[in-house]
Amino acid sequence: MSSGAAEPLVHIQDFRMDFGDTTVIRDLSFDVHVGETFGFLGSNGSGKTTTLRALLGIYRPTAGILHVGGKVFEPSDGSRLGYLPEERGLYKKEHVLDVMVYFGRLKGLSKTAARSWSETYLERVGLADKAKARLDKLSSGQQQKIQLGVTIMNNPELLILDEPTKGFDPVNRRLLMDIIEEHKRAGATVIMVTHQMEEVERLCDRVILLKDGVSRAYGTVEDVQEEFGGTVYRVTYDGVLPLSSLFDVVSDDDGRAELAPLQGASEEKVLRELVEAGAGIRSFTPARISLDEIFIKVYGEQHELAEG
Amino acid sequence: MALAQHNLGTVIAFEFTRTIKKRGFAIATLAIPVLLIVVFALLYASNTTTKNSADAQRNAQFSFTYSDASGIVAPAGAQAAGGTPTTDPESAIEAVKNGSSEAYFEYPADPTKEPVKVYGADKGMFENGKYEAVARQLLEASAQQHIGSPQLTAALTGAVKFNSETFKDGKAAAGVGGVIPPLLFLVIFYISMILLSNLMLNSTLEEKENRVTEMILTTLNPTTLITGKIISLFMVGLLQVLVFLAPVGLAYLFFRDRLALPEMDLSTLVFEPGPMITGALLLLDGFTVFTGVLVAIGAIMPTAKEAGTIFGPLMAMMFIPFYTFSLVISNPKALIVQIFTYFPLTAPVTALLRNGFGTLNPVEAAIVIVELLVVGILILRLAVHLFRYGSIEYGRKLSIAGTFRRSELAAK
Ligand SMILES: Nc1ncnc2c1ncn2[C@@H]1O[C@H](COP(=O)(O)OP(=O)(O)OP(=O)(O)O)[C@@H](O)[C@H]1O
Ligand SMILES: [Mg+2]
Repeated sequence: MSSGAAEPLVHIQDFRMDFGDTTVIRDLSFDVHVGETFGFLGSNGSGKTTTLRALLGIYRPTAGILHVGGKVFEPSDGSRLGYLPEERGLYKKEHVLDVMVYFGRLKGLSKTAARSWSETYLERVGLADKAKARLDKLSSGQQQKIQLGVTIMNNPELLILDEPTKGFDPVNRRLLMDIIEEHKRAGATVIMVTHQMEEVERLCDRVILLKDGVSRAYGTVEDVQEEFGGTVYRVTYDGVLPLSSLFDVVSDDDGRAELAPLQGASEEKVLRELVEAGAGIRSFTPARISLDEIFIKVYGEQHELAEG
Repeated sequence: MALAQHNLGTVIAFEFTRTIKKRGFAIATLAIPVLLIVVFALLYASNTTTKNSADAQRNAQFSFTYSDASGIVAPAGAQAAGGTPTTDPESAIEAVKNGSSEAYFEYPADPTKEPVKVYGADKGMFENGKYEAVARQLLEASAQQHIGSPQLTAALTGAVKFNSETFKDGKAAAGVGGVIPPLLFLVIFYISMILLSNLMLNSTLEEKENRVTEMILTTLNPTTLITGKIISLFMVGLLQVLVFLAPVGLAYLFFRDRLALPEMDLSTLVFEPGPMITGALLLLDGFTVFTGVLVAIGAIMPTAKEAGTIFGPLMAMMFIPFYTFSLVISNPKALIVQIFTYFPLTAPVTALLRNGFGTLNPVEAAIVIVELLVVGILILRLAVHLFRYGSIEYGRKLSIAGTFRRSELAAK
């Protein structure tokens, strides 16, 4: 799976996927480089899971090139892959430790190595007492932890996580983020699907934003923010916000508003307009548009289209 | 390659242990031997009061007619045993066929050269032996009168062959001796199918119902997984057969005399290498074909419940050849028998039956064996394909054509 620095670890080019007569993904191209953490974003049904499945040979792509480490993925390359599928599930009727050791063995660990690794992991996530329990006797969050453990066994070079935080409480979400960060620091490449934009802002180097099977934005988090209007002004006020041709009111709630400048209206112009209109400005902070807002912006268009 | 083999071992070990650990498995496996032990115990209890069954057969009382071209049979002894001489073999045989006479023995001019022909009314497999026993007893006793030496008599009558034929409803009922060994493969086939088919069907359903397919498909070659599962099922089947046979073997060793077990003198069983090898190959083929089909069904159907709807008719395929049972053994050229012999789902049972009764000639056997092997391998490959591209369709039925359309497009 290792490759030269110049060559991307994951290379997807002109990927197209049809299910029957419906095209679900069209002309999708992107690369993920060694060592980076890549956010794979998009609304529900936009084709993220489908892309990951096609990349890993679970689906056969209709057209296009999908390479991992310079070639089409094969299960035998799986020993250094950590894939957390969206559809979670392990052998429910088996004991936690048995299942972990089984997958460890399949990934090429020896029985003892798999066992001791699993015991250490269970200890860390607070499930040491469940080693001999049947999986279906665990809560769904606990099962998720086991599945995460199976995913990160054998120090994967490539981690592909489809909504990893789904079903975790805040404490465990933190734990999960820590674990991902550890692997990232150790040099692993991470591809992460998530709907949690703050996770993306915290962890991801680059992102792609998918909508209806088409890429809508692709690049570093800053690039994407720039592309979607770059700066916004966060204001707090105690008067009335004027209508203006200089800015749009993105959000306005209880004396806090976010204004998006129109036609490159400068900071001073907007501020002067506000002050002159007697808005009672108490604070005025330029900020980057959040991914959340970009997401809503991109996703919102769909509704406008549907309505119009 | 090394990893694939290591994985195969891992899969077999995992699948084997988790199958035999299931509670249902333990119950199913132990229920039958326990039942057998109960039956044996009942037999034992009722048989301690009666005499040894072989003696009972020899001393069985029934009336018979006989013709004696050799002049050895002593009329007085025959009469004492319940025999009436006759000079009209044809009507005597007819009388046995239509049930008006119980048995007819035809002693040839030279019993050491020609077999003694024994005709009897069918009384079931375990009792039919009495006819031959009495015919032999009568010949021995008569010969002894002539010779005066029991040892000499024994030596001579040992060379006499008996041909037994029993009739039921005017039709010939087949003998048992030479048929049993190759038919054992049919029995093993049925037992293993009855015991394992459900496990086969469910073995891949489990990956689907537990949503573990994606994890598996990205760590393990599906061929390795399916092969591993089949081998582990095979081992499970062997284990079950051993458990079942244990009480039978024990009973045979320790209580043989007390149980009215059918007098199975193992030396009378003929293990002809031809039919035995054919039987073994057919068994293996049949196992492969049915396993492949079951695994394929498991891959297409989202849940055990829905798989059950196909499962029933499939199992019926195993029993349908029995409807033509008498044709299979008496007229193997019949069209229906020919169809059943070559149609992959009926072929294993039909061919095993015909092999057992010696109506499957070597050419036919070779064709069926090769055909089933090819079909079996193709179905297994189809099953792997369906599992690979089908089992991800959690919760929905798979269109087989769909999986191929997708792979064809990908190949372009
Ligand atoms: N096996 C399938 N057969 C037919 N259509 C499918 C199949 N799998 C996915 N789709 C369709 O493809 C589209 C993309 O689905 P996908 O699961 O990739 O979305 P997603 O981006 O992962 O969404 P989510 O955020 O909800 O997980 C959806 O419209 C879905 O209905
Ligand atoms: Mg998804």
